[in-house]
Amino acid sequence: MNEAEESVAAETPATPVAQRPGSFNGELVAAVLLAALGVYLLVDAGAIAIPGSSNTVGPRFFPYAVGGLSVLTGALLALRVLRGDRGPADDGEDVDPDAPTDWRAVAVIAVAFVAHALLINVVGWPLAVALMFAAVATTLQGRLTPVAAVRPFLVGLTVGCVVWIIFVKALNVALPGGIVLEFLTSWF
Amino acid sequence: MSAVVVGYVPHPRGRAALDHAVLEAHRREALLVVVNSSRGDALVDEEFLRGDQLRALHDELAASGLQTEIRQPVRGRDVAEELAAACTETGAELLVIGLRKRSAVGKLLMGSAAQRILLDVDCPILGVKSSPRES
Amino acid sequence: MAISDLLGGFADAITPVNLLFALLGVLLGTAVGVLPGIGPAMTVALLLPATYVLEPTSALIMFAGIYYGGMYGGSTTSILLNTPGESASIMTALEGNKMAKAGRGSAALATAAIGSFVAGTIATLLLALVAPTLVQVAINVTTADYFALAVLAFVAVASVLGSSPLRGLAALCLGLYLGLVGTDVLSGQERFTLGIPQLSDGIDVVVVAVALFAVGEALYVASRLRKGSVQVIDHKGGWLTKEDWRRSWKPWLRGTALGFPFGVMPAGGAEIPTFLSYATEKKLTKHPEEFGHGAIEGVAGPEAANNASAAGVLVPLLTLGIPTSATAAIILAAFQGYGIQPGPTLLTTEGPLVWALIASLFIGNVMLVVLNLPLVGLWVKLLKIPRPYLYAGILTFASLGSFAVNADPLDLVILLGLGLLGFAMRRFGWPVAPAVIGLILGPIAETNLRRALAISDGDLSVLVDSWFSRVVLLLALLALVGPVVLRAVRGRRATPAEVAQEQEEDREVQTAANREGGTP
Repeated sequence: MNEAEESVAAETPATPVAQRPGSFNGELVAAVLLAALGVYLLVDAGAIAIPGSSNTVGPRFFPYAVGGLSVLTGALLALRVLRGDRGPADDGEDVDPDAPTDWRAVAVIAVAFVAHALLINVVGWPLAVALMFAAVATTLQGRLTPVAAVRPFLVGLTVGCVVWIIFVKALNVALPGGIVLEFLTSWF
Repeated sequence: MSAVVVGYVPHPRGRAALDHAVLEAHRREALLVVVNSSRGDALVDEEFLRGDQLRALHDELAASGLQTEIRQPVRGRDVAEELAAACTETGAELLVIGLRKRSAVGKLLMGSAAQRILLDVDCPILGVKSSPRES
Repeated sequence: MAISDLLGGFADAITPVNLLFALLGVLLGTAVGVLPGIGPAMTVALLLPATYVLEPTSALIMFAGIYYGGMYGGSTTSILLNTPGESASIMTALEGNKMAKAGRGSAALATAAIGSFVAGTIATLLLALVAPTLVQVAINVTTADYFALAVLAFVAVASVLGSSPLRGLAALCLGLYLGLVGTDVLSGQERFTLGIPQLSDGIDVVVVAVALFAVGEALYVASRLRKGSVQVIDHKGGWLTKEDWRRSWKPWLRGTALGFPFGVMPAGGAEIPTFLSYATEKKLTKHPEEFGHGAIEGVAGPEAANNASAAGVLVPLLTLGIPTSATAAIILAAFQGYGIQPGPTLLTTEGPLVWALIASLFIGNVMLVVLNLPLVGLWVKLLKIPRPYLYAGILTFASLGSFAVNADPLDLVILLGLGLLGFAMRRFGWPVAPAVIGLILGPIAETNLRRALAISDGDLSVLVDSWFSRVVLLLALLALVGPVVLRAVRGRRATPAEVAQEQEEDREVQTAANREGGTP
């Protein structure tokens, strides 16, 4: 423990994820985007209509303040990042901090999620969620074959149907079930 | 040198398989390859040996007087694939696996690792349910 | 009188139905809190939809169970696996895991659970005693004072949470922006809705919280999925010995004394009191040689501090309507979902409801200490869920919760968009909590600011008119400038450096553990 304390002073700012110099700097982009968001707030706040009755501080004031703060924060953060200060990436039980980013997994999940959002009102929530579940679990398994997707799909379908029955039949949450499930459970 | 491969898990069925495998390896004067694999996809895998359990296995194998090897692959593959790979690599003449009783419903839900092993592995397979002493 | 009100609360809470909801909440909260990658805030956000359809009393009773259950579940995993899910559990995990390696895992779990119980009970009692008094004071708080309090909460949350104050501010800005979207309450004007009709009601807090916590986490984990497993400590064997009790009870009380005030203050949650508790116990112990090698005081104190601060957070929430942690922000959203606005008038308008909530916190605490230790084996089984299914399941429940709010698929698209934002924030070390707090507290701050300025006819000096607001704003300034000055003086803030150090150690332990199994 003492050893740990002594080394604290000598430790350089923690950068667990080594970023190669010259590599694409995502945080710089994020900081610039934040500043851009601030500019958008400042500009668009001017377009908010002020009802005649309101006095000095109307609906524009707070957006101006938030916009200003965003521009300032974004700019300062961009400077800090340019000077080499990188935020330490989040840690977690299931996160391998040294792993290269698996962009394919992120993309598959994003697409699967949008697809399920659009499918809910067409095929019902259980089936839409089962398809999303299958896509996500199969991707995370690292094996993208139709055979490997069978079990995740069945698991997802089970989870989806059980959750749907609990929430719709027992808790009366409004959730489209799809023709088949709604027909099968119409008796209770 | 020929080899006997055994799939080992810290359960009675793994125990049974290991005991039989030790006997078979002595009988055939073969290398004993103990495979204890994990898919590595859950935060906790109690069938994967570590620490004291692993040390105990090392000690036991050292005391057996056999030439032995412990393999603990974590490659996201299931038991059947890992055992098949170990058998192919070592040119095994026998694979020993422990079997457990499963209800019909259990089989339906979980599938059967044993069944996939029987289909995937080319060498002769010895399936055991209890230790040689007991039977 | 607080005591008779509290007894009334018990009478409401101890009906068979409400006890059932408390038990359900406790079990759900612990089960979800135990799962890796899910902290208390995400637990509460994901389980919020389960309470939508209940009547407010039952729902909040269930919610109390979920809140405390999530806390217990989180600390159970951090001891069992030496993987602190959140910074408040780092100290617990550190000594707890060393204890486990010395064969005293059960004792570590027991002192954590009983310490959580003791701290939770005392802190809830303090909450019951303090709340009515504080409400008396809060009634006289002006809108300008409120604005000052909100500013303090913003600044404290932004500068304490996360890797650097600037990144906390960046997250806060995002939350404030999201809070602006929608119809302005005071003037009825639409702001930043991009002409999308669904946005005129604003972005739902539940959607934002679920997106940033659950979807963001799922995407982030998917992008850097860990392979391999970790060793579960042996939790069989004896519980606490007499000696353990003797060494534990003082740290429990000291931890409670540290944790509760820090929870009450808008100081960014349980991280600081757990560090302070650990340092205190290290200084006061008669067994300094055991620290770093599994000292029971090092588990008992921080764990008590963690839970006491969780109860303390409810004080400003219930008396002022100001959330000081992400979890509190989501609870505030739950209140608003029932058309109840926490604030100084809450105890008078919704008295029975609040007292039933406080009473069920006591009940939940008893249930947890009784259930937690015997059920450890069951919780470990939950940890065997393969990661692909776990994160697919998290997304399933994220979809359920967000879709159930308005039954509008557009909410799910917004959910994903904000989830990608949460993913980016995790990559860059921007803390998520300030964004959630900014979202829910931003509109409150704005309303109070404009009311104050409307009364003063636009004169800004009204903001520093009372002593209260002057002190609070000064504190806010200190919280903002303090860390910067300290860093200039000392080179680096000690606490985050320690965090980093500890996390580094943990990671080494874990990679070592994985390597142990990884080589064929």
